[in-house]
Amino acid sequence: MSNAYSPNPAPEPENKIVGLRQLNLGLALAISFSGFIIPGLGHILMGRWIRGAMLALAIGLMFLIGLSMQGELYVSDLSQTPLRLFGFFADVGVGLMYWLAEHARLGTGNMSARTYDYGTTYLWVCGLLNYLAIMDAFDIARGRKP
Amino acid sequence: MNLSHFEALFVFAFFVSTVFGLITKTTPKEQFRYGAFVFCSFLGVAIVVGWLMFPLPW
Repeated sequence: MSNAYSPNPAPEPENKIVGLRQLNLGLALAISFSGFIIPGLGHILMGRWIRGAMLALAIGLMFLIGLSMQGELYVSDLSQTPLRLFGFFADVGVGLMYWLAEHARLGTGNMSARTYDYGTTYLWVCGLLNYLAIMDAFDIARGRKP
Repeated sequence: MNLSHFEALFVFAFFVSTVFGLITKTTPKEQFRYGAFVFCSFLGVAIVVGWLMFPLPW
């Protein structure tokens, strides 16, 4: 007789994807935060060296190229127009590199430069890409993806 | 750094497609294929839209 309808079926595993390591929420948040400070560090801490190194390289190079193209880093000034606050949110996504560049007075932007718009866009997008990388690191840490 | 518009677009597409490929797919083969698709899409759409706008007088 089949035991398919037994009163005590075996409990289903919480994570349907077999073999994924699931860290607790605090550790996952800490790993994600490390990825915010230094792009790719969250992946490296979880042993995904190549993925982390490539993320760090792509985001870091994009940031440096944006600065060298005389793009502008937006600052946190609440008196400025709201659209500039969105720009600040995007810029600050690269974490430590933003603060280093800000303290070194880089990223002041030169509007007369031909590459100003591209440089500023590079700086925005590398910060936004790092936000995606942070969420990816969080998903991996929580066992939602391999 | 004084890149032309196309060079800046090329470099931008390269980095963005690299990150998209890395974070959206799991295996290296899938990552490479998706990254290449996004990269070609960036360039293709930019070139097509550029040519569509070329005859516009304003």
